[in-house]
Amino acid sequence: MNVDAKPLLTPELIRNKLRSVVDPEVGVNIVDLGLVYQVDVAEGAVKVLLTMTSPACPLSDLVIADAESVLCAAVDDAVQVNIELVWSPPWDPSMMSDKARENLGW
Amino acid sequence: MNLHEIPPIGRLPMLILGMICLLTAVLGGLARLAIDVPSFAQYQAGAHGALMIAGFFGTVISLERAVALHRFWPYLAPLCAGLGGVVLLAPFPVVVSPILFCLSGALFLVASWLVYRQMPAIFTFTLFLGALSLLLGNLVWLLRAEVSVAMPFWMSFLVLTIAGERLELTRLLPPKPIGRLIFIGLLGFIVLAACLILFVVPHATQLLAASWLILALWLLRYDIARRTVRQTGLTRFVAVCLLLGYGWLAVGGFLGLVGAFENGHPWRDSALHAIFLGFVFSMVIGHAAIIFPAVMRVKIPYHPFFYLPLAALQLSLLVRVVGNLGDLWVLRQAGGLLNGLSLALFVLTILASVIRGAASWRVTA
Repeated sequence: MNVDAKPLLTPELIRNKLRSVVDPEVGVNIVDLGLVYQVDVAEGAVKVLLTMTSPACPLSDLVIADAESVLCAAVDDAVQVNIELVWSPPWDPSMMSDKARENLGW
Repeated sequence: MNLHEIPPIGRLPMLILGMICLLTAVLGGLARLAIDVPSFAQYQAGAHGALMIAGFFGTVISLERAVALHRFWPYLAPLCAGLGGVVLLAPFPVVVSPILFCLSGALFLVASWLVYRQMPAIFTFTLFLGALSLLLGNLVWLLRAEVSVAMPFWMSFLVLTIAGERLELTRLLPPKPIGRLIFIGLLGFIVLAACLILFVVPHATQLLAASWLILALWLLRYDIARRTVRQTGLTRFVAVCLLLGYGWLAVGGFLGLVGAFENGHPWRDSALHAIFLGFVFSMVIGHAAIIFPAVMRVKIPYHPFFYLPLAALQLSLLVRVVGNLGDLWVLRQAGGLLNGLSLALFVLTILASVIRGAASWRVTA
């Protein structure tokens, strides 16, 4: 799960990097929206599972491309970045961070 | 991801077909206002609505859904919709165009059913009802060639599609059980109105208009736009477009409620264009910078200049509506012409932004 690569890659670091990918409609990043389901960091590889709030949303490819370019810029060239779109479990508002919920009036 | 999915460059021909529909539809609309346009478009004055909704919107909305579904076959829907519009310009039998529109509508309906199956929810069901409306509108145009009966279905296609997408985003806000109940009640109301319209029951369009009026108030009350308008940049711009659009939906709904959706009503021009230009195109202007990059994989960096085509559309529509309601023909005609120019300005803004985005990409690369 964890590695001793340089720079020290941790799921937390990856999540922080992904905070720069923002849903333009809502103005909240994909991590705080709860769209990033899982981050696995292994030697030489980063794997991210993310979802969308709606299967009718055409933005998934763009979000994946943005996330990929953010992560590729953040890790060594040798590290393989793999981002996968998943639909299970379906996204739920309870997955949003406290900060996002507060911003949205919860 | 499916290997048979169409890459962005392969989507371009469909988008071009859609843009031909849009251009011809706008010029055909201007011909209806007794403005001189090239003869190819003048012949299409009667197909203005079909080209705009079944053609242009049928293409772009089903293209957007195909991109979301990551499969090959849903792309046949925008292809058929775009071709359905373009064949009107060629010497084909008149029946070819509505057949292609119906084919497109049927494929779009199946694609929308797939979305519903993937995530059964009220919002995906609303999108499905929107798709069903498009197919029904296209079938009416094929079988009865009556634009006046097809029009409320085409209108429902766009209004329900937008409403479904907005409902989806309300999930980000704290749940409002009453709001949810009102929305479900409204859907029932809309389905009832649509059934009555299909059997040409008098005053049925007024029932539909009442639904639009309540929906506009619902959106103004429950949509995230009221919150996101306090943000900055693109997020705020989108919210401004949405809120202005809801205002126009209310205006169109009100005019329809007094009977202006009916064929021959003196305010019909205002009622229809408050919905299609004021509500729908404000939404398009707001979302182009989000959806276009998703479909074509180009960058569209936000610029405050985006407000210019939006303002131009709002003001020119106001001129047109005042001209129509006040029975001032010159004003209505000038408003219509400026509507067309506003849309041209919008398309130019998008193209310029794509070039700007590509330039910034090269600089940062």
